[in-house]
Amino acid sequence: MARDKIYLEEIFPSPFMQLWLIFRKTPVAMVGFSCFIFLIVLAIFGPLLAPHSPVEGQFDMLLLPPAWHVDGNVSYLLGTDELGRDMLSRLMYGTSLTFGLSFIVVIISLVIGVIIGSLSALTSGLKSSFLNHFLDVILSIPSLLLAIIIVAILGPGIDNTVWAVVLVLIPQFIHITRYAVKEESRKDYVLASRLDGASPFRILYYSIFPNITDRIMGQATLAQSAAILDIATLGFLGLGAQIPLPEWGATLANGLDLFYIAPWTVYLPGLAILFAVVATNLVGEGIRHALKLRKER
Amino acid sequence: MFVFTLRRLSLFIFTMLLLTLLSFSVNFLFPGEAIINLTGAINATPSQLVELNNAYQTHRNIFWQYLAYLSHIINGDLGLSMASQSDISAEIVNLLPATIELSLVALFIAMLIGIPLGFIAAIKHNKITDNLILSISMLGYSIPVFWLGLLAILTFSISLGWFPSAGQISLLFEIEPVTGIQFIDILLSDSPYKWQAFSDASTHIILPACVIAVTPATIFIRLARTSMIEVLDTSYIRAASAKGLTFQQIIFRHAIRNSLIKIIRHVGLQFANLVTIAMVTEVIFSWPGIGRWLIESIYQRDYTAIQSGLLVLSCFIFVVHILTDFIYAALNPLARGNKYGAR
Amino acid sequence: MNYFNFITTGLLSLLLLTACNEEGILSLSERSVIYCAEGSPETFNPQLVTSGTTIDATSNQLYDRLISYQGDENKLSPALAKSWHVTRDGKKITFYLRKNVAFHHTDYFTPSRLLNADDVIFSFNRALDTEHPYHLVSGGNYPFFQNVGFSDLIDNIEKINDYTIRFHLSHADTSFLANLATDFMVILSAEYAAQLTKQKAKSDIDTHPIGTGPFKLKEYRVGSLIRFYRHEKYWREPAKIEQLVFDITPSNTGRLTKLLANECDVVAYPIAHEKITQRKDLSLEAVTALNVGYFGFNVSKAPFDNKLVRQAIRYAINKKTLLEAVYQGKAEMANSLLPKTSWAFDDSITEQEFNLVLAKKLLALAGYTEGFTMDLWAMPIQRPYNPNAITMAKLIQSDLNKINIKVNIISYEWNTFLQRLKRGEHHTFLLGWSADHPDPDNFFTPMLSCAAAHTGSNSTFWCNQEYDVIIKKALQTTNINQRKKYYAQAMAILTEEVPLIPIAHSKRYQARSNDVIGDILAPFGGINFYQVSKRKLTNKHTAAKQRSLDENPPARNTGVN
Repeated sequence: MARDKIYLEEIFPSPFMQLWLIFRKTPVAMVGFSCFIFLIVLAIFGPLLAPHSPVEGQFDMLLLPPAWHVDGNVSYLLGTDELGRDMLSRLMYGTSLTFGLSFIVVIISLVIGVIIGSLSALTSGLKSSFLNHFLDVILSIPSLLLAIIIVAILGPGIDNTVWAVVLVLIPQFIHITRYAVKEESRKDYVLASRLDGASPFRILYYSIFPNITDRIMGQATLAQSAAILDIATLGFLGLGAQIPLPEWGATLANGLDLFYIAPWTVYLPGLAILFAVVATNLVGEGIRHALKLRKER
Repeated sequence: MFVFTLRRLSLFIFTMLLLTLLSFSVNFLFPGEAIINLTGAINATPSQLVELNNAYQTHRNIFWQYLAYLSHIINGDLGLSMASQSDISAEIVNLLPATIELSLVALFIAMLIGIPLGFIAAIKHNKITDNLILSISMLGYSIPVFWLGLLAILTFSISLGWFPSAGQISLLFEIEPVTGIQFIDILLSDSPYKWQAFSDASTHIILPACVIAVTPATIFIRLARTSMIEVLDTSYIRAASAKGLTFQQIIFRHAIRNSLIKIIRHVGLQFANLVTIAMVTEVIFSWPGIGRWLIESIYQRDYTAIQSGLLVLSCFIFVVHILTDFIYAALNPLARGNKYGAR
Repeated sequence: MNYFNFITTGLLSLLLLTACNEEGILSLSERSVIYCAEGSPETFNPQLVTSGTTIDATSNQLYDRLISYQGDENKLSPALAKSWHVTRDGKKITFYLRKNVAFHHTDYFTPSRLLNADDVIFSFNRALDTEHPYHLVSGGNYPFFQNVGFSDLIDNIEKINDYTIRFHLSHADTSFLANLATDFMVILSAEYAAQLTKQKAKSDIDTHPIGTGPFKLKEYRVGSLIRFYRHEKYWREPAKIEQLVFDITPSNTGRLTKLLANECDVVAYPIAHEKITQRKDLSLEAVTALNVGYFGFNVSKAPFDNKLVRQAIRYAINKKTLLEAVYQGKAEMANSLLPKTSWAFDDSITEQEFNLVLAKKLLALAGYTEGFTMDLWAMPIQRPYNPNAITMAKLIQSDLNKINIKVNIISYEWNTFLQRLKRGEHHTFLLGWSADHPDPDNFFTPMLSCAAAHTGSNSTFWCNQEYDVIIKKALQTTNINQRKKYYAQAMAILTEEVPLIPIAHSKRYQARSNDVIGDILAPFGGINFYQVSKRKLTNKHTAAKQRSLDENPPARNTGVN
């Protein structure tokens, strides 16, 4: 960030860097963070690393239990399903669908939400009151219910699920951005730059944003864990990813019929979802913890 | 309080208008003709169609159509289900109480477990107990509810055989639906097996209610913990301890009461969350509630049922929301000044 | 605190309740049976449908027929008619009715008289006579009557006296009596119909049924349950159980769970057979049903109007894997329409080979070297002839991919699926047929005749005059060997023309708790709970303990076999 060195801030780490420095010292958060990075890598490269196809099955390898079981086979580490599809490969491909998509979803809704939120923070009066009422209504409806409503309107499918979750998450970002921007604009340094004659957008971009990124990040992790659960739940209910797609929730629903004879087809996707959400929440916890510590300093 | 009531009333009317407008416009978004989506009359003869078109004012502009729709809703006419051709408002009257019952029991369980644990965590702030409770609570809200439900069935219904896996009550008992709330109906019925039915219904509700309660319970833990920590930090607590009250006296006489008020404010929001979780859980436990019905309607593309179900469900959630706001305001005069809804 | 006292008291009283009520529940459940069914009935009148789910819930529970099948050889035997007589030319058939048959007494109808000839004539004329006041009630479709051509066959039904009726046929038909004994030929109450006409609630006749069967309808909640009470004045011994509940559970896993958790006594179409056989308190039973699961073409749409394409696809489908993966090797491979147990089975028809080279060659010959894309409709629910059509569709998808045919799998909710199939919106589809009676004609006519293509039960829309003539001829002779020859000819046409590819003949499965005694399944037609009774239960707790012991045998693992 090249800008005039009016303030002596440059010698301090940026708020974001400060946060990272504290964050780094919390071991649990770091474990969560490395799991999170691992999942992102898997979401990008999973399809290349997967040993088998997630859709084509081996018909002589039906319902093979995981490798540690007596009847297991090492080349199918986590066993196979009723069509002889490798569970490990399905889960790896599923990472890009459930986790990868949720990540993208969060980024899209974050960008839209932050833009609308900061614009609305600059407005006041009737428009603002209307928006407040509107946000109140939308935020009082739980995200999953809203996602189900939107999928019900758009029709089932993974693409519609993605749009539904994006739409559901936007109000949360609007709300937090609006709140953070309003709070921040009351502070003296913003007043200072306003007195310098900076335009509202300039203030927003150079003064306020760097100071609220951390809070938005915290909200983003919350949004991501909700997004993973929403995508998986919709997939499980048959409203999300459709038949051959190895989305985790859909894979779990597919395993339902086999629950009593091949329980790993239900356990494994469930564990995968749990793992992804816990990792995300650990990162979120870490960020919030660090935020609190920074404030207390 | 009067101004507060007025504000809430305006919010309520605003929301209802928004929700009905939404469900009205949804009819045009669904595939097929709007009038059919609205009424569900898929087998209507041409003359019946003309009648319906008149009733819903489709020849006039969209504003009048909306008004006609609104008057139908106010009269309790939500159309027919496209799949079963049965009256939707009658079906909802049957199904909604089951969901309310399940959600209330779950809410009760969630509060019963969550709030004390949160208080304990706050009292043992930053100690092992605190961390342990927090870790468990994080695990609790990370777990996908449908998976948890399956595991619960496998463990408690199949392996241990403690609780039944599906339904509201054993089908052998015939309970005449009067209020729709199963437990009240059982008590009102004159069945010779009344008490057996009552205990059977209790064993049926425990498992799904506990599964639903997990996530809200973890949230109550956090809320209770935060609010207790805040209360313990206040000056009146310090004053009390300076007066020489024992720690126990402080906690039980002052801290619990004051932190509970703060929690009640969130019960409304949590209830909405809980109803959504209940929808998914109803599918797994075959609970005859509105959530399962709604999800099945989505499968069957029963648009009339979808839009009316959603309308009723969101209205219900909002009403609960406003009610808790009122309770909170009644308990805590300070909150009456708040301009907007709790969040 | 008061609060906590309240909870403790509540919990304690709950525990006490659970403890002291064991006895009562036992007695109630001893007198009742809960059956977990796979779907809701469309109506309570079997005349209006061909769907097995509806037949299961209605025919044998609520109604009786004039004659029925009995015993292992499935001989025609008296039911509401105590005897019958056929003239030598086969054109006049006289039935002598029983005089002690009472109709159901329910909340909505109190019968004032016993069954007589009017009821029988009303029941048949409703379906046959298009002018009949009840004909158009509930849509006016009587698929089975139409498929077997009853309106052409039956000239009229004559009432000789109150307990004697005579059918006048236009020509002799060897399958007539067999058709009369099917689940569709139920006897309704004419008195009830008259009452409904007065009340202007005609359609209630199919939703609030009155019959003569061993059970009467008490309560029906759409999509959730059907409650039957015993018909105390049944003309035979009353049923042994007082209450029969159909718990409608469309989910396969849901049904299995309810069985394993002892919430259902009997379960339709169970999955995970290994799990059931492992448990000592449950048993799995199967009946060799006359049925065929098949892959059908909509021959009215290109390119399936081309015989070569259909043949090519037949060569490209690997039936062995289908049998292995979908039926777990427990079904018999189908090479023709008829299963081995049918007397008209032709063992000269050999297994069609799986040959990709030949398939590609045929496809090239038909002009589709590049292949094409098609839709495959897979049924959403379990049927005896196909326990998992979606899995089968996935397998066929990968088979056909090898000869460059791209397959999209499509599935709708069951009733929608059937409706759209009737309208011919499909390219190809997975479906099947369960015989309603042992006569082989029940496969040939309703599945593939031109008449069936019009009524919609022949979803291939294949109509072949030569075939129609042969199967009609087969019905007009009583000579078994002659009929067998005709059917062999018909099957030869089918093998050449391939309107559909037969895949498997499977058994119909059912699982039950060992406390339930008595036959329920029959080789054809719907289930029957008349004979069922319940063993006296031991204490619930010991039963549960026993079960948990059974479930964890010391040295065995609960994986896959």
